[in-house]
Amino acid sequence: MLGVMEQTDVLVRMREDLLRALKKPVGEQRWVMVIDLRKCVGCSACTIACVAENKLPPGVVYRPVLEEELGTYPNVTRRFLPRPCMQCDAPPCVPVCPVNATYKDENGVVVIDYDQCIGCRYCITACPYAARTFDFGGTYAESTADVEGLIVGQAAADDYERAASFEYGEARPRNRREASPIGNVRKCHFCLHRLAEGMLPACTTTCIGRATFFGDANDPDSLVAELIGRPNVMRLKEDLGTQPRVYYLT
Amino acid sequence: MAKRTLYVLGGLALLIGAWGVFVRLTTGHEQANYGSYVVWGLWVAMYLFFAGVAAGGFVLATLDYLFAIPLFKGTGRIALWGSLVSLASGLLTIWLDLGHMERIWKVYLQGNPNSVMFQMVWGYTLFGALMLASLWLAIRRPKSRWLKMLMIAGLPLALFVSGAVGALLGVQAARPFWHVGLFPVQFPVFSLASGAAMLLAAVGLFGRADDPRRPQQLWILANITVVLQIVKLYFLWADFSQSIYGNVPLNVAAVNELLFGDYWWAFWILQLGLGSLLPILVLVQPRLARHNGWAGWMGILVLVGFAVARANIVFPALTVPELEALTTAFNDPHLRFTYFPSAMEWAVTIGTVGLATVAFLLGSDRLRLTSLPAAEA
Repeated sequence: MLGVMEQTDVLVRMREDLLRALKKPVGEQRWVMVIDLRKCVGCSACTIACVAENKLPPGVVYRPVLEEELGTYPNVTRRFLPRPCMQCDAPPCVPVCPVNATYKDENGVVVIDYDQCIGCRYCITACPYAARTFDFGGTYAESTADVEGLIVGQAAADDYERAASFEYGEARPRNRREASPIGNVRKCHFCLHRLAEGMLPACTTTCIGRATFFGDANDPDSLVAELIGRPNVMRLKEDLGTQPRVYYLT
Repeated sequence: MAKRTLYVLGGLALLIGAWGVFVRLTTGHEQANYGSYVVWGLWVAMYLFFAGVAAGGFVLATLDYLFAIPLFKGTGRIALWGSLVSLASGLLTIWLDLGHMERIWKVYLQGNPNSVMFQMVWGYTLFGALMLASLWLAIRRPKSRWLKMLMIAGLPLALFVSGAVGALLGVQAARPFWHVGLFPVQFPVFSLASGAAMLLAAVGLFGRADDPRRPQQLWILANITVVLQIVKLYFLWADFSQSIYGNVPLNVAAVNELLFGDYWWAFWILQLGLGSLLPILVLVQPRLARHNGWAGWMGILVLVGFAVARANIVFPALTVPELEALTTAFNDPHLRFTYFPSAMEWAVTIGTVGLATVAFLLGSDRLRLTSLPAAEA
């Protein structure tokens, strides 16, 4: 592993893995994410990249970075834990949906059909990772002061926030209060729209510490397949039987 | 006098509710204080409360129309009307809670039968239709054989829908505070208790002044209410003591939040003191239990206690972070683990209570719900 990293940036390796996986028939990939907690510096670049990529409004966050302080002085340390959706293989959020709006796609990513979701938020209560958030319809520029000559305030900056996001490969501008995804539950989807174009998820490419890895676990030659075979791998709340597809290296 | 006061208060509540609904419909959920962590707020709690009263009230109507208990002759219609009004208020509340109200039809036509919520929506829809038909028959054709048939069909349906509310929460392994196997058993008991309290209030405050059976009806209803309150208290004790003894962190945190958190007074004063203990102390006294005013207002207090109890089931489980560090991971008003309803939420809730009150009063006046059947009068 160390040798590989010395020669090639892991991003290059993972992109090669991705392109190889995309050549396989749909449904034969098993997308997983691996996060090396020893490398994460808690910069939250992944959080911001995700917000920018998916044009997330206030209150909607797919990948917060959880910070913990451990120990007692002088033996103290900080731990950072990025928390995307776990894309569980036994997702508690799926069976509770009264309208089948959330389900696992062909490759096992838990997705949401924004046109089907009624916004009951039952799935949010079912998720043991708090990985789902509700889109209340706000914008960051709302109620901020306009300043002539500067692109600040609602009148000037709001347009950017109203512009379409391209989640799930669909253009969805936020120009009407009742237009989805406003009023819907939203969550991380491993940037499926980027994967379809041969690009890694935004959080993965943005990680400055190269702590986030992504790929097809069904490909034995992929980097992620190699990483999840290690003994220092753990998953969150495994005791609940959710079988997460996000692995942490500790 | 009491009725006129209630009409005025109900009307005012409707005005406040109209403002709340206007804000809800024009600004969506932005003005709500529930968020993505405390994801269900006051409206969901009130829905659980109203739905519970509806199921319990229907069960009590069977005392008249199915079991034909002489003492309860003539109480069936007011019990059915109270149930129907309560169900309508509950469904209105939960409809306003949806992110996309216009898509409610999808639950009926494109639903997921494996979802407890789907089962509950279908159950309450059937239940509402059945109650409407029962009430129509009770008013127009009280001797109809069909009325009895509807009562027979409605009894297990009432049990199912009230149990389904318990299952809605109970199936969630992510929330140990809710993940109680006996929730679907406890909730029908809670429903019956709130239905008995509703009928106690209805007979006590709006019963026929010239009905000689009224004091005895109140006494029996008071006894039912007291017994069910004691059962409810036992359930609470069993739940909380086992949770604390078991020491599962998320569960203990939720129980502690409920008992000693910011809203400790809601449990100790409103739910336990005014909603349970005071009514028990009053209603075990035969003289007070037979008194129209005392019995009626104790029924109201029990109902208030149940409304608070619903909130105390919904909120504490949601105020405990699934992952501790989430509290500081991302800041936003809708990403908090604390909750107090916003003005809009209160306004809509006050409006639905006002709607239920005014509709109940109008029904009791116009539909002559409390009069005895002609043959009995």
